[in-house]
Amino acid sequence: MSTQLLLFQVLNGVGIGMIYFLLSVGLTLIFGLMRFVNFAHGAFYLAAAYITYAVVLWTGSFWWALLLGPVLVAVLALIIERLLLRHTYALPHEAQILITFAVALLIQEVVILLFTPLGHNVPVPAALSGIVFLGPYVYPAYRLAVVGVAAVVAIVLWIAIERTKMGSILRAGSESAEMVGLLGINVDRVFMATFALGAALAGLAGVLVAPLRGVEPFMSAEALGIAFVVVVVGGLGTLSGALVGGILIGLVQSIMSTLWPEGAQLMIYAAMALVIMIRPTGLMGRI
Amino acid sequence: MRTVERFPNLATAIVLAALVVLPLTVPATLASQIAIFATGALSVALLLGAVGLLSFGQGLYLGVGAYVCGILLRDAGLGLIPALLMAALSGTVLAGLLGSVIVRRHGVYFVMLTLAFAQMGYFAVLAFKNVTGGENGLSGLPRQFDLLGFSIADPLSMYGFMAGAFFLVFLLIQRVIASPFGSVLAAIRENEPRCEALGYPVARYKTAAVALAGGIAGLAGGLHVIFLGFVPPSDIELEMSQRLLVIALIGGIGSPGGALMGSAFYTIVSEALSEIWPRWMALIALLLIGLVLFLPGGLWGARRRISALFARNTAHD
Repeated sequence: MSTQLLLFQVLNGVGIGMIYFLLSVGLTLIFGLMRFVNFAHGAFYLAAAYITYAVVLWTGSFWWALLLGPVLVAVLALIIERLLLRHTYALPHEAQILITFAVALLIQEVVILLFTPLGHNVPVPAALSGIVFLGPYVYPAYRLAVVGVAAVVAIVLWIAIERTKMGSILRAGSESAEMVGLLGINVDRVFMATFALGAALAGLAGVLVAPLRGVEPFMSAEALGIAFVVVVVGGLGTLSGALVGGILIGLVQSIMSTLWPEGAQLMIYAAMALVIMIRPTGLMGRI
Repeated sequence: MRTVERFPNLATAIVLAALVVLPLTVPATLASQIAIFATGALSVALLLGAVGLLSFGQGLYLGVGAYVCGILLRDAGLGLIPALLMAALSGTVLAGLLGSVIVRRHGVYFVMLTLAFAQMGYFAVLAFKNVTGGENGLSGLPRQFDLLGFSIADPLSMYGFMAGAFFLVFLLIQRVIASPFGSVLAAIRENEPRCEALGYPVARYKTAAVALAGGIAGLAGGLHVIFLGFVPPSDIELEMSQRLLVIALIGGIGSPGGALMGSAFYTIVSEALSEIWPRWMALIALLLIGLVLFLPGGLWGARRRISALFARNTAHD
């Protein structure tokens, strides 16, 4: 592999990894506070990708999609939380898994119903369709912008969780939601907000990924698998785990896709198997 | 604490009767599919019912069983029964290996790992195209089989074979649940730390249950290949894992009898609706939501809940 190709693949890997981070961090936040794994997470990502496709088709503007994708998905998540999930908090954790799984199935079927099972391409926004020079090398501007957006989100999230009152409620809630409730904080509302935030982050990942790989209705299952791998590798419940896991998996995928294209996806899962055998709690995990 | 029922019990009789009635009510090919997917769903039901482990990845073992059976039938010239036994064995071995890693993690981690490994199997099939045929699957398998002098070629004899295989697995599971091994599994389901404290090697018991369930799923994969005459790559897709789980859930969480009921429901509904409305899975999703919220015992459990309701009403009178 030449230096240029290696650099290109490393950058690509970080770009994909940042999208994987956005996809997984919501899963981690929701798990940290509410103690269940949201199987509809991939479907939120799917929904946002299709919102991007529809908005770009309609208005021609990717920027509207960047706003509407996460917002509409957050609204969808709120409706699902109020209508269905809320009633399962008292049930064993299988109930939440199964109900979010059913919701994922439903969202996927609705997407196929509206947009047919065939995939579609989403154009890269015109302002970012060019290339940038990184020293002697060239790189697509859009991919670089994705890394930038995800990095900003990661920093904002970190500040919000570590340095704000809302963040301290979130951290306390993940230690003991019951205790936080006894202190007079409306835990119900915190659950609601966290679920919507997590969904919006998956939505942001879905919007950003649409111009890179297009949209198709079965991308949700793939995304869910990837998000699971990322949180297993990084460690569930920590922001840094999602970041480290996401970038690591992105790098594995990107570098393997030059070395062994058919096996690139397989190697992601092999990397996960390796990590859990060496460190069952994940690289950054505490539990 | 649930009391362990002796077997054979009423459920055994109901299942046997249903297997006899099935080919009289639906076409034999459909009945065969029902029996095959019911066998696959038994592996989910065993894990969920006996040990309380939720698996999103039983399709992996079904798929591996399907490929092993297909390759052995086509390239090694193995007979029907040896090929099926190898399919079951491959499922057992793989599930045992992966299980020994997975069972160390609890709750949601376990669920996530089962799904992740199931995805791994699918991508392995795509990565090794020259062995697995990639997205085309494997074709060119023998279509006619002999079993102790009986030919298995027409739909009805095929159904007889599939139903027999399902019933054997069903009896095996009933036997396992009623055995001392099954009692330990039930104890692990109810209170794992206490079992650990009592000195039971919990991880080893769970691995054994996962391996057994993997073997059952592998057998179901082999049966599916025999029935179809080729190996479809969809057998190892995530959708297969989900289908087995949905069937087991519709039938009733973890009840072996429910697997047949769930499979009959799912297969007949999909057959009837897929022609009229290809997006019928949306209805299954709604049904699943309803089951979780209102009917945690599934169709099989509904029977008990309805009788409990009557019992309560009469008690009030």
